[in-house]
Amino acid sequence: MEVGFSVRVFQFSSSASLEELTGRKADTLDELLELLKTCSSSSIFYHTFSAFRKLREVQTPYTNDFAVWIARSLNEEALAEKLLAIDLAEYNTMESLRSRIVELLEGYKGENPSLFERTATEPFYLYSIVRFVYFTDKFAYNLSSFRQLLDTISIDSLYYHFIESRMQSQLKTDDFSSWMQENQDYKELAEKVRNIDINIYTLEELRVRIGEIIDEHL
Amino acid sequence: MSIPKLSDYKDVVGRDVVGELYTLASHVGNRSIKMVNSTAVGGGVAEMLHRVVPLLNELGIETKWEVIKGGADFFDITKAFHNALQGKEGQFGQEIFDTYLAYNEMNYRQMSFDEDLIVIHDPQPAALIKWQNKRKNKWVWRCHIDMSHPNPQVWEFLRSHVELYDGAIFSSPLFSPQLDIPQYLFYPAIDPLADKNRDLDSDYIVGVLENYEIPRDKPIVTQISRYDPWKDPVGVIQAFKMARKNVDCRLLMVGDKAADDPEAEEILVQVREAAGDDPDIKIIFLTHSIPTEINAFQRASDIVLQKSIREGFALTVSEALWKYRPVIGGAVGGIPAQIIHGYTGMLVHSVEGASLQIRSLLQQPEVAKRLGESGHQRVKDEFLITKLLKRYLLLLLALDHPGKATILLD
Repeated sequence: MEVGFSVRVFQFSSSASLEELTGRKADTLDELLELLKTCSSSSIFYHTFSAFRKLREVQTPYTNDFAVWIARSLNEEALAEKLLAIDLAEYNTMESLRSRIVELLEGYKGENPSLFERTATEPFYLYSIVRFVYFTDKFAYNLSSFRQLLDTISIDSLYYHFIESRMQSQLKTDDFSSWMQENQDYKELAEKVRNIDINIYTLEELRVRIGEIIDEHL
Repeated sequence: MSIPKLSDYKDVVGRDVVGELYTLASHVGNRSIKMVNSTAVGGGVAEMLHRVVPLLNELGIETKWEVIKGGADFFDITKAFHNALQGKEGQFGQEIFDTYLAYNEMNYRQMSFDEDLIVIHDPQPAALIKWQNKRKNKWVWRCHIDMSHPNPQVWEFLRSHVELYDGAIFSSPLFSPQLDIPQYLFYPAIDPLADKNRDLDSDYIVGVLENYEIPRDKPIVTQISRYDPWKDPVGVIQAFKMARKNVDCRLLMVGDKAADDPEAEEILVQVREAAGDDPDIKIIFLTHSIPTEINAFQRASDIVLQKSIREGFALTVSEALWKYRPVIGGAVGGIPAQIIHGYTGMLVHSVEGASLQIRSLLQQPEVAKRLGESGHQRVKDEFLITKLLKRYLLLLLALDHPGKATILLD
């Protein structure tokens, strides 16, 4: 199939982050709730989106640090599972994500009040993060060049565009499918890419999956 | 082997990882760093600075390293401070603090601090900042020690100086106190191209095992660690003996001892007693370990143990994970940062737990293989020297934008 030009050139960006420590910690779920309500949105970002980036790569079922701590240090698997079921792809602001996590914990507390006073085997340490976003020297002028570059961009660049940028754009979609959506010929492709379940693949597997979908289209 | 250049890391960590370092360095621009610590040789800090300083220079960040001077009285005091900050009880007289400050002032007067970023490592030179008035550059205190239970008197004294800095760096959230300045997390890191970690010819590995008379007829379970009660070498032997009732294997214990540590001889006697005349237990006591041999022991192992009961960071875990080994580690200090239980290794809390995991992993090689692979990925993501370089570059950028959560680099 002849591949036409998209409406705009896609310049790949990437992101990096520096972890900050806060000296704050929680020994119980009540204390975790307090941290969740009072911490910076960067802390929420660190323990959800950043954790997702790292934990997926080592193929754990965890997508956030809160679930890891609740499962590992409080042995409360049911609550951890509820947190794992939160789909990061559905949240486009940190405040909406924070509200969802707080709501979920408070709901669980209503049913299990004594659990929230139980002391964990290890404390939960609150982190924060400084994020850096920068352009790379990679440009896609059409779908073919996009497809070629997809195999060469860094894993951080892939993570930035497919996961993290949802926060920046405050759109419930990734950068790749947004770009594809701009071209009439790629609307169907955009939908397929947008519907990839980010929760079940590692980033390298996501790269392969996106590539396969584009290959089918090309 | 010649000292590796940054480009040599491309084959190990990936072209994009090294490329990202150059990209970030271009955003940092022409900047300079001075590292200050108290020793040029010996210990993990000096070992790391020997590698980080030339690599930062290669990235275009002009980086110097200076070592403070002091008499025996100063280093006796700083050693006592070190122990106190790691939890040892004791009371210090005012003259101790006065002597510490006098040496810091003397060093301050003899040094210059013109670089854009001054990184002061550990407590020995921490008070240098006291005499730096009206500074234009940034100062950061890098703490490498376990400060989870510091002696309150020494910590309060030190804190009054630490809070003069623009930021502090700790190796683990366990060591991070509440401070009025930003704190950053820098994990310690291993160098994948150092002799202790680089790839080895299989012939060399075979040769090392033959030299030490270690047969390879059975799976090998190994702990490589200083002979020190906190590394629980006796517990390792007990766990091995329990496991061997179910699965045939050998135990290899390799360790050196701190030069000034009289306890090492004593613990070695206990280890030999616990081992008895068991032909499947090999105890190697080295006065000076050879890095490539340690590397060979790790690569020849079917399981690596680090069954510590108190620990700083334990980079031995990352060393083994980097070599795709399944690791069983005590759930203490920095070990849980490296081992996500059940995914990048197994965490244990007791001799019995260690024994069970030895049995389990030796009988489930597929599980062991998966742990080793995920563990390698975890080290690649977090605990390599290239990540440490990235953290220094990001630190320079973060200090330019205090208080900002997201920084867009043009």
